[in-house]
Amino acid sequence: MVASKPVSVFEAYDRFLNGKKAREDTWDYVTVPNNAALIKNRYYLEFGKKIIPEDKDIMNRLFQAGVDMLVETGFFNPDLGKVMYVTEDEIFEGIKKATKKLRLGHGKDEVVCERRHGNPSPKPIIQGGPTGAPVSEDIFVAMMQSYAQESTVDTLVSGVMSTVDGHAPTANTPWEIKATLAEIRAVREGMIRAERPGMAI
Amino acid sequence: MDMTGLNMLAGWAVNGDTIMTEQMPIFGGYCGGVEETAICDVATTLASFVMFNSHIHLDGPIHIRWGITTARETLQISSHVGAALDLNTDLLLSNQYYPTAGPCTEMCLLETAAQAIADTASGRELISGSAASKGVARDKSTPMEARIMGEAAIATAGMNVADVNEILDLLIGSYEAEFHHPPKGKRFQECYDLKTLTPSAEYIGVYENSIQILKEIGLKMKY
Repeated sequence: MVASKPVSVFEAYDRFLNGKKAREDTWDYVTVPNNAALIKNRYYLEFGKKIIPEDKDIMNRLFQAGVDMLVETGFFNPDLGKVMYVTEDEIFEGIKKATKKLRLGHGKDEVVCERRHGNPSPKPIIQGGPTGAPVSEDIFVAMMQSYAQESTVDTLVSGVMSTVDGHAPTANTPWEIKATLAEIRAVREGMIRAERPGMAI
Repeated sequence: MDMTGLNMLAGWAVNGDTIMTEQMPIFGGYCGGVEETAICDVATTLASFVMFNSHIHLDGPIHIRWGITTARETLQISSHVGAALDLNTDLLLSNQYYPTAGPCTEMCLLETAAQAIADTASGRELISGSAASKGVARDKSTPMEARIMGEAAIATAGMNVADVNEILDLLIGSYEAEFHHPPKGKRFQECYDLKTLTPSAEYIGVYENSIQILKEIGLKMKY
């Protein structure tokens, strides 16, 4: 059936509300592994020893297997205990709608992230940073500045500030909010000190 | 996808923000083996664009035994998923880095380089890293890992994929036997001069040795 329009996060919520009830343990231990195994057999997927596939047929079969997995299994919301579904047409409509090019950062520090397709000579965007690893509060700015000064680094990814004003940024507490905002300020300060104030975070 | 995630996405979507959705499938977990995990990875990557308003997806298949992205199996998953999506869509794809060894060790740099080589040759558009020591040890990340990630990607871009696979087989084989006892490495404060923000002579030496190893197995590194 032709998709009437692409699905959004708001439509996703409505579909969760009206979705099929499911238990989280059944989803984790039965639904996902059983469907994945079934679909693996359907598409005769065996990767062999190659790290990167060289055969387009296996790439196409894996892609279609993933489409089948999403259509037939749906997506689970553990808070609502519901599963939402999309059709194959909605998946392809969403793919068509998806962004093809992103401008990251601004001014002289802007970089453009666009489709590479295969392994062409343009390199991928290099996003440097501690990638969510814990970083001490007292060295946070210095660490981010040192990433920003790297010539191969195009954009920054933050770490997690271990403390803020000496307090642990425990999840779902006010300290978590304060630490998150302190992290962003520290990343920006590091970029500015490295004379690359327009880098994307 | 829980309600916290949905509500954050709703706010970003309405605000017109650029949305990167992170999702890390666990190899050996609920999904199962290499192929099953890859199938789930393709499905959830598609979901991030099709259901949840994402502009770019951040992958990161994790090995259930080692807790890292640089194992042979997890690199095979991310490379197959990247190549499959790259061939069939125009979606923007990225990957993140969790090697097991700590900074200022050859193993850490070689693990990071291996993933950069695999991500680049499988068509990904952005690579994000690196969180050495599995991303769990405080201050165990430095820009030298990001440097080799970038330089390895630059050297790989444009290469024949069959040649890249040969390099990867040798490179992964050079460090995977050490997963039981990876070198812990050093903290940022021990690797960098905090006043000048320059790497230590020791780390420069480790970096140069790592580049030499990569050159010897066939990667045409310039620096």
